Amino acid sequence: MPSQPPLPPLLAPYVSSLPDASLTLVSSILGATSNWLVLRFLHAALSSQPTSTFGADDLPNGTKKKVVLVSFLRSYEFWKTEAKRLGLDLARLTERHEFAFVDGLSELFYAPQATAAPTSSPGLGSSPRTTLPLRSPPGAVLGRAPQPAAPTGPPGNTAPKQAEPGIAKKLHFSGRGLASLDAMEKDVASVMEQQKTHMEEGDELILILDQPDLLLATTGPSMGIGATEMAEWITGLQQHAHATVLTLATDAPLIHNSSGLGQLATPIETEHAALAIGLAHRARSVMQLRTLETGAAKDVSGVLRISRGGGLSTENNLEEREALYFIQRDGGVTVFGRGES
Amino acid sequence: MAPVNLSHRRTHNLLLISKLLSLRDTASPLTLVLDSLEQPATPLLKEYIRRAKLSKVHVTLIAFETLKQPERVDAFVTTRRKSSAEIAKEVSAVYQAVASSNPSRRRLILIDSINPLLHSRRADPGFHLPSFLGSFLAPTSPSAKVDTSLVVTYHQDVPEPPQKSPYASSPLSLLTYLATSIITLHSFSHILAQKAARDRSLAPPVFGLEEEQEGVLLGRLDKLTGTGAAEGIVIELEHRRKSGRGVLEWYLLPPASRYSPQHLKEIVTLLDDSILYNPPMERDPGAENEEPTSTFELGLTDKQRRDREGVVLPYFDAQSGNGPGEGGRILYDMGEEDDFDEEEDEI
Repeated sequence: MPSQPPLPPLLAPYVSSLPDASLTLVSSILGATSNWLVLRFLHAALSSQPTSTFGADDLPNGTKKKVVLVSFLRSYEFWKTEAKRLGLDLARLTERHEFAFVDGLSELFYAPQATAAPTSSPGLGSSPRTTLPLRSPPGAVLGRAPQPAAPTGPPGNTAPKQAEPGIAKKLHFSGRGLASLDAMEKDVASVMEQQKTHMEEGDELILILDQPDLLLATTGPSMGIGATEMAEWITGLQQHAHATVLTLATDAPLIHNSSGLGQLATPIETEHAALAIGLAHRARSVMQLRTLETGAAKDVSGVLRISRGGGLSTENNLEEREALYFIQRDGGVTVFGRGES
Repeated sequence: MAPVNLSHRRTHNLLLISKLLSLRDTASPLTLVLDSLEQPATPLLKEYIRRAKLSKVHVTLIAFETLKQPERVDAFVTTRRKSSAEIAKEVSAVYQAVASSNPSRRRLILIDSINPLLHSRRADPGFHLPSFLGSFLAPTSPSAKVDTSLVVTYHQDVPEPPQKSPYASSPLSLLTYLATSIITLHSFSHILAQKAARDRSLAPPVFGLEEEQEGVLLGRLDKLTGTGAAEGIVIELEHRRKSGRGVLEWYLLPPASRYSPQHLKEIVTLLDDSILYNPPMERDPGAENEEPTSTFELGLTDKQRRDREGVVLPYFDAQSGNGPGEGGRILYDMGEEDDFDEEEDEI
């Protein structure tokens, strides 16, 4: 579309060449969301035409990339529309087995009954937002816990899943503690393994986890899930993928309340901070999004800071930098240094 | 710091860190490394591995957060979904396999992050931190004596969950109590910035999470990479000797790109020896500034100074004189460079 390329040149090296077994952490706050950056990761991996002008680093044309996107806060419709604005047709890419979407939003806490599934699924698909607040009080969850064994739920639900085009799998949370995470891990891993069957030698599978902190926030220590369990869950998924991109909220209350001397931090504050900081210690790179310190501006949407994480395994030669970004009305993004335009 | 003189510290403390990092004489069986996002322990762990490989020490990495086996690590133990007892068993098993072929009988066990273990919500009633760590260090059988060094990394900035029992001590204080050496890591550029502020009596700046700025996890930005000046990590070491005496010292570990992996000589220096941290004093401030600039040579050479000191001034001579009239003579020893002027003598 527009005057600027879909992938800003400044950003290209950071989103297009992800080394093996690396974790990229994208942190966002309420005023500076990470959707646009996730879309840039998608574009860098999936866009068919080699970005010739500036993409000197994606020269090995042979390595095709495949993406599995697991989204906990946004629906497939959202990603499809937004990707279209970048020139990516997710429906077509799904058919070509280059892209798979795992829905962690619409039925995460909806216990599917085998009989009710056909009638309920269209309604859910069209209005995913109505299901999100269905965060039941603990009493109700306990009541539901003995209901379906987690692994049996999804297979019984195969038919309606196929009915909804584009969504490879819907995640369900049932039970508590590690067992429930294990079931979800199995679901995501099965999608990834399925993608791998369509891969050739040398292809790379990239896993994007969009805001898995929702899972921690909605369950928490009372259900046997804490930062360690979440981190282990992510490690398990990482083992199936070539590289992993993960977005996480780092709003001040979620990070800083637990570090103060007040000792009044709530479990979610402690666990979220432990998860976010722990992941930053593991990550190869941390891309932090925040708003301008000086307030809102007409031509700047926020600040992107790219730093090296503390990861041990990979040789880390990432160049750290800080830049400003601006999201235009048409969805195009420009990234530029301070003082440039 | 100044009282304990620098050269004494230079010899003793450099020897100490060299011994600790190279795992000689099992100077420290349990080393606790406290790191933060601003200065991760990665470079230090790599340095440990590098030195261990040079002296053929068997390296085991217990991975709580590392996904893939890093290079030069002999054994890699993943911990996902394992109880502490299983981890301990596996760690001893990997060494049993090579124990016969490994002549050095020294081994290094690294734990890349102890936090997940301490945070775990899993009911692990048998978990007891001291005995878990002790199980690595204690010899498995009295005959096979193995010198084991354990290096445990603890991320300081990860918040701790509330204690299960209000009377129990926190895991961190337990760790600091158990450890024979405690290494706290700082970023060199931050140390420099804080020192510069302190020198001007300003409040030292804070970085990263401590800034408490929304959306900032890491403050580190290597603006200084280009100059290469302030790279490296600062090691704050607290070592407890067997006698009970503690040693406190600050060191500087240069970045790995500055030396080859095979480098044998000690690369760690005292922080006080760093030119950037302790810039050399200007020699005799003021002495040089007093001299006015001119085209004449106003100074004296050594010989001139000696000669001048040798001159006996007339009033000294007069005091030792033998009476009036004797004083006031012109006392002059002719030097060899003097040109005797006869006319002048006649006067």
